[in-house]
This record gives sequence, structure tokens and C-alpha cells, in this order.
Amino acid sequence: MARVKPLSLPVLHIMLVLADGARHGYAIKQAVEQRTDGAIRLGPGTLYEAIQRLEEGGLIEETVARAESANGQEAQRRYYRLTDRGLTTLAKELRAIGQLVDVARANPRLRKGLA
Amino acid sequence: MTWLARALLRLYPAAFRDRYASEMVELVASERDAPRHQGFAGTVRFVGYLLGDIVATALRLRCRQVARALTRAGGGSAPQLPQPRKRTEMDTLFQDLRYALRQFVRRPGFTAIAVLSLGLAIGGNSLIYGMLDGFVFHPFPYPQPDRLVAIGVAFPKLSSETTYGEALSPAEYLDIRTNRSFAHVGSFDLGNRNISGGDVPERVFTALLLDDLFPVIGMAPALGRGFTPEELGPNGPPVAIISHRLWQTRFGRDPAILNRAIRISGRAASIVGVMPPGLVLIGTDLWIPWGGDPLTVPRNVRQFNVLARLAVEASLAQANAELGAIARRVEQSEKPKFAEYENWQLTATPWAAALLKDVRPAAFILLGAVGLVLLIACANLANLFLARSSTRQRELAVRLALGAARWRVMRLVLTESVLLAIGGAAVGLAIAWFGLKSAGVLIPGQFQMLGLEAGVNLRVLWWSLSLALVCGLLVGVLPALQATRTDPHESLKADARTGGSRGGRHLRHALVVAELALSVVLLLGAGLLMRSFLNIQRVDRGFDPRGVLTMRLTLPRERYPGDAAGAFFDRLSERLAALPGVRAVSAASQFPPSGSLGTQFKLERAQADGQTLPTALITVATPSYFETLRVPLRAGRILSATDRLDTTPVAMINQAFATRYLAGTDPIGKRLSLGSPDQARPWTTIVGVVADYRNNGVTQPARPEIYIPVRQQTAWNQLFMLIRTDGSPGGLLPSARQTVSSLDPEQPVYLIQTLEEALATSSFQQRISALLVSIFAGVALVLAAIGIYGVMSYAVSARTQEMGVRLAIGAQRRDVIWLVLGQVLRLSAIGLTIGIGVVVVAGRALEGLLFGVRPADPATIATVTFVLGAVALVAAWAPASRASKVDPIQALRYE
Repeated sequence: MARVKPLSLPVLHIMLVLADGARHGYAIKQAVEQRTDGAIRLGPGTLYEAIQRLEEGGLIEETVARAESANGQEAQRRYYRLTDRGLTTLAKELRAIGQLVDVARANPRLRKGLA
Repeated sequence: MTWLARALLRLYPAAFRDRYASEMVELVASERDAPRHQGFAGTVRFVGYLLGDIVATALRLRCRQVARALTRAGGGSAPQLPQPRKRTEMDTLFQDLRYALRQFVRRPGFTAIAVLSLGLAIGGNSLIYGMLDGFVFHPFPYPQPDRLVAIGVAFPKLSSETTYGEALSPAEYLDIRTNRSFAHVGSFDLGNRNISGGDVPERVFTALLLDDLFPVIGMAPALGRGFTPEELGPNGPPVAIISHRLWQTRFGRDPAILNRAIRISGRAASIVGVMPPGLVLIGTDLWIPWGGDPLTVPRNVRQFNVLARLAVEASLAQANAELGAIARRVEQSEKPKFAEYENWQLTATPWAAALLKDVRPAAFILLGAVGLVLLIACANLANLFLARSSTRQRELAVRLALGAARWRVMRLVLTESVLLAIGGAAVGLAIAWFGLKSAGVLIPGQFQMLGLEAGVNLRVLWWSLSLALVCGLLVGVLPALQATRTDPHESLKADARTGGSRGGRHLRHALVVAELALSVVLLLGAGLLMRSFLNIQRVDRGFDPRGVLTMRLTLPRERYPGDAAGAFFDRLSERLAALPGVRAVSAASQFPPSGSLGTQFKLERAQADGQTLPTALITVATPSYFETLRVPLRAGRILSATDRLDTTPVAMINQAFATRYLAGTDPIGKRLSLGSPDQARPWTTIVGVVADYRNNGVTQPARPEIYIPVRQQTAWNQLFMLIRTDGSPGGLLPSARQTVSSLDPEQPVYLIQTLEEALATSSFQQRISALLVSIFAGVALVLAAIGIYGVMSYAVSARTQEMGVRLAIGAQRRDVIWLVLGQVLRLSAIGLTIGIGVVVVAGRALEGLLFGVRPADPATIATVTFVLGAVALVAAWAPASRASKVDPIQALRYE
């Protein structure tokens, strides 16, 4: 399958969270909400729709490593991690965004808002 | 809350669900615990959030699925084997829904007519159901309202009616309380009290409790406490409980209200409780202990209402059986002293039914009428569907031939009709919503005083949705059966133009006849109600209601003892009469059309007929009463200002009294004694006879009546002022109020209305039923006309060839028109016959609302026949003339 594009903001955030290591669904949701101060809220539908697309695109995958499962409940959860392809796609995407931001910074009228 | 999530998850494609459902449910469960989702508001927020999130993403996923399927089908990508996966019920439903929606979009006119006509019908039903729900089924906020009963009493010796209001004495209450089928029994009297202790005196609707009523109605004060047995006992300490409304309006929601002192009709009392918001006891705002001693009140002084709550294990029948036994026991011991106890009856009835028994007939007739409209709409729609399904027969036949299961095709058709019905329900609910909001205009003051309200609530919602579902199935099932019954082989072979089978035609005709018959029932009902209403308007009431303003005043006994009240009313009448434009002023204890207070009386030298005395209506009035109402004098003289406490007691009677009790003699100078036999009263001399007028309801003939002067009695301190003016009676109100407060600034006036308004209220049932049933009949007629038009258009187009042949071999265009019209007239005649038959046979249901007209009224039947015939011909004209304009060459070319 061709690469998934363009990546939406919630999807980017999910990938960024997974770049730190494998997470299960609820942990992803919490991390994203924390990082964005609740600006991005991932409902169950939104979250798993994104996960499905990412899985189909081969950008993330389910992992066998079920980290720090203290109790039995935890062990039943599925963990997702970024694939190599996901990592390169994310880097590419972020580079593009970086370029975009650099261009924006060159504009004096936008500079103040971005600082 | 995970059940909701689980249910919603069914919206997703199966593959998605299989993979993620369990994780999503877990996620939802942990989110539910978040602090922002706690409490009621949190729950609402949570449900909204779930719905939005899941429905939106499910739609997106479904769309993507469809898009993919389309590109696959279009051969855009390499052929792939479809994923082997189970097709779920949900997927089938989605497929059917998509198909149905496509059908609707393709035929917007058909869809609009179907949704609108169903919407109108369902809207009417929801509207009436909402009103019934608010006024008849669930009027009160009490827990288990059907266990709350009112005790009614009937004294066959006095009157045949069972009364529930102010009908029992304290002694009888104590008898009733021995009934073991009741868990709690309570009793109250209704009255009005002036409360002061603020800037403005206020008149407040008050309940005087004979016993603790809180356990009976199952409510307790929201603030403070109820009454103690000591407070409810004879001469207990003065305490009061106020309504939430009074607390809000008069005391500004003062949290320190408890134990505050107010003055109730001049006496100090302290507030011990505030009731919860809403209607607590038929609109009363103030609750106080009655304070009397039940044992000292004579058995026949009956002014109390008795309510009871059935014990958990007891049934209504049991309670009634026991009440019967109590009545017999009292009859045995008390009949020697009180003759009216002979065969007296006590009955327990659910309170709502007892309180609203007068409006129930109208309510149920309206529900029936609007139900008929719905049936007509369904028949109409079924017909549209039938006509369409015959044009779709080929398509459905192809489906069947390709191996579709019969039920699968039926389901497809039914999905369409149910979907349409749900659209109709949405339109209907909107209609009901606005209708109930503006229904206040139609509701008489009687209900507004009770504090009853009607609105769209969950029950109304359920009612509408169930109606929609039933309609959808009703409408869909015939066409669905018809569509799938045909042999696909036959259908495919047949030419589409030859149209429906003989069976289909019969079915369509039967539906039109049913529609016509139902419309006839409604039209006849509307006609009869309309005539009754006009008869009521036209009846000779015997008095002139135009230009009369009425209002009530109650003078506190403490400040107006004895004759002082009478003197006040005399002075007030004089001052009011001096106002510009005022023609006559009088004070009276009651006025038409709702005069209902009666008295027993004994004629001098009359044959003693056991101990039961005859009764007559009694009105305490000032001399100008008859001039104000414009009731003419027939004999003797009018009451005079010189009839005082120290002169001979005098009375006037009406002609009905003279004919009934003094036939063949000169009534002037005869003497009678008023009141029950145990009370010794002075002889009262009849000095005059007035003409009859309809005092006790406009539809009731005049009853025997007695009039006594205000200044010759001291019992009445609560009178109505009647003011006749040349101008508009409403415009007189400010100066009338001013006049009252110039005499006594502490006296509020209340129950202000014009005499014409009072008359309108009294015929409210007839007015509202005539109005609404006429509207329903109009809608029914339009629907029936659409039905006739639809069926005839279809028949004509299906018979184009036949018409062509007829014209080709010499038929006149006139003949062809008559061919079509004749068929319509035949159907109309059958419908008329059935409809008239139904009304004549079942007309008894209407009789309670009819006045001066019988269900089998020839004039009404003739009118309806004419109207229906005319409408049927108009509806059939367009198809008929189209048939006559068929070009034979064109029509035959198809052969």
C-alpha cells in the first residue's frame, strides 16, 4: 500500500507518542491529551480509526513485547509500536513541517505569533 | 455505560469491530471514570461525546468501505477476491437503508407527500396524546398516582350524581377512615384566605386539612416539616405550610422562612414548612389545619374532600367493597335522623379520573378522531405504495428470479415504509411540540388554575415512535406481500403497461373505500359537534351576558361581623354604580352559567313526604341582580333595599319553581322555610316570580330557584360583584379595583372575568371538540381526495389502451369521463354507507357532547353526503379528463 498522506494532526501526535516506545490504546490517548493540554481529545472511535489506518499503512504494528505487565488485566492489552517505515515516514513528515515553520518564521508578521 | 458503547459499536464494519471492539469498550470504561464525566451533567456530556465520536467515525469507515467496493467493481485496481467474512444483520440493514434512501431521493415528490401526510397524522396524534397525558393520564407528580383514590359519595334521595368535591362531613370521614384497604386516609376543604404581613394583601387558594394528607399523596415538605397531630387537632396552634410558588413570589425564596409569622385572614400563624416545586394539591398555595372538632359538626354539613392511598396488598375493588359495607353500617345507625342515608353510596376512584371526569369524554373522542386520521393516512400511503410496487414489480421479480429470498425482498419494502414513517414521526413531533406550546390558548382557566401542563415528554415520544413503527408496518405489509406473491416468471413475461393484477385493483379499491368510510365518520362527527356548539350558542339563555364584568370579594369575618359584610357590599355597589358608563351593579353569591349552590326547603302546609325535602338552587343577591342580568319579572315585586334583617324575611322564586311546587296557585304570599329539617328557620314569604334562565349550565333547562336578599342574612361574606356597562367590561377593571380599595385597601378582588368569558368556559368541551374534530375531518377529506386522485390516475394510466380502443370504436369522450367518474361515485357510495352506519350504530359515544342534535341527524348526513360526493368528483376529474383525451392512434400503437 502506498504511503498514507497527509497525516492529520491527531495521527502525528499518536505516532510521536509511539516514537517513545510501545503503548496500548488508552496510554496513547492519555499521553496525547496531556501533551496538547487537552486540545486534542481522542475519542475511542477517532483513536482506533487512526490506529487502523496506521496499521493498514504499515506505519505501526502490534507488538509481542507486552511491557511491564504487573497484573493480569494489563497483560491482555494490545500494544502498538512504530515500524521502521513508520519512523521514517514520521521523520519525513516532521521535516516537512519544520520547513513549513521555518518559512513561516521568515515572515515578520507571523514571527511574533510563533515565538 | 459500556452497554451503550457496545450497542454503538455495531455501527462499525464487522472487520473493524472484530479487531478493535474489546479494546474500545475497555477504553470507554476507563474514560467513564474520569472526573469530568461524573454527575448528571457529566453523564450527558459523556453520552454526547460517545455518540458524536462513534457515529462520525463509523460513518467515515462505512463510506470508505463503499468507496473501496466501488473502485473494485469499476475494475480500477487489480481484481481481488472479496474478504471472506460473515455478513451481519447490521450490514444487511445498512444495505437496505441505503437502498431505501436512494429510492426516496429518486422520487422526492412521493417522499415529501408520504412524510408530510404521515407527519400531519402522527403530529395530530402526538398532540392529542400529549394533552391527554398532561391532563388525564399523568396530571400529578405523586408517586404511584393510580394508588391515590378520591372518595365519591352519592345520595340517591337528593341527587343521582356521584360527587367528589366538598361532599363529605367530618363524621363521614371518620367512618371512611375505618376502611382497612387504605394505607392512609386524609381529608381537606378548599377555600381562599387573605394573607398579609407584606406590602400588598394577597388572596391565596388554600387547603384546610382535617387530617395529615402528606402520607396520602406521598409527598413531604421540601423545607421544614409537616403538621403534628397536635396541630391538626381541634384548636391546635396556628401553623401554615406554603407552596414553593408562594415562597418564591411572596417571600423571595427566603431560606429563613421557617417559623416566620404571617397573617392569614387577620390571624397570626407561623410557617413550618415549604412544599417542593410543582403542583401539590390542585393548585393550592397555602396549607393550614382546619382546626375544628370533627365530633361537633353535624353529619349533614358536608364540605370535605377525602383522599386515600390504597394499602399495598389491597385492590380498588376490595376498597370499594369495604366502603359499601361502611355505607350500609352508617345507613342502619343514622337513617332515622338523616333520611338521605337511604341507599347512599361511597366509591373510591383514582383521583385523576375523579377530578377530570368532566373532560374525559371529550378527551377520548378527540383521541379516537385523530386515530381515524392516522388510519386514513396509512390507507393512503399503503395505496401509494401499492401503486408504486406494481410499477416496480419487474425489478422485484428480477430480484426474486435471481434467487433473493422472499422475506429478504419483503424486508426491503418494509424498510422503506418504516423509514418513511420515522421521518413522519419527526415531522409529527415537531408539530406536537409547537402545538402543545400554543395549546394554552385552548385550555380553559379551570385547568390553568389546577396548574396542569402538557408538553412533549418521554411518554409522548414513545407514543409517537410506536405509532410510526406500527404505521410503517401497516403501510408496508400489504405492498410487500403483494410484491412478493407474484410469480416472477409471470411478472417478467407480462407487459409493464398492463399494470396491476385484478387482486391488486381490488385491494386498492378496498383501501379507498376504507379511507372514504373513515372520512365520513369524521365528517359526521365534526358536523354533529359543530351543530351542538351552534345550538349552545343559539340557546335562549334567559339573560343577557354582554357587557358584564364579574369579580369576587371575600370579607374577613373578624372585621366584617354580622350585617357589616352586607352593608359593605351595598356601599360598594353604590360607588361602582356611580362610575361613568355603568348601567347596573349587583352583588350575588353565584351567577349563570355556573350557579350550582342548592338548598333544601319546606313549603308551609306541604304534605310531609317522609323527611326528605325538595331542593332548589339558592342565590343570595342584591335587588339589582335581575336588572344587571336583564331577567324580567313575571309576578309580584323585586327584592327591595328595605328588606333588612329586622323586616319580614322575603324571597323570590323563578317560574320553574312555581310550576313545579306551586302549580295552580298564586305563588305570591306563600311561605317557605330554607335549610335542612333539623335547623329551625323563620318562615320566608315569596314576594315575586322572575322568568326562568339557564343558571346551572347553558345546556341544562332551568331548575327551581330561590333568591334571598343580601341584607337579610349574615352567612355570606363571599360574593361576586356583577357590573353591567355600556362600554367594554374589561376596560372598567382599573376603576373598579380603585373603587374597592377606596373602601377597604386590604381587600383583593379575584376570579375576574366577563360574563361572556364565563359562558365560553362553560361550553369549552363542545368548542374545543368541534374545532379540533373539524380540523381533523378537513385533513381526512384532503387525504381521502389525494387517495382517490392517486388510485384513479393509476387506473387510468393502466387502462390507456382500453380507453384508446373504446374511443377508436366510437365511444364519446363524455362516456369515457363517466366511466371513470361512475367508478369513483360507486366507491364513494359504499364508503358513505359504511361510514354513516358506523356513526348511527356507535354514535352513543358522542351523545355526552351533543346538544340538541341526535347522531342520526338527517341534515348533517345530507350535508356530508354532498360534501363527500363533491370532493370525490373533483379529485377524480383530472384523471377522468385525461382518460378522455387519450389519442386512440397513440394508445393503439403500443399493441
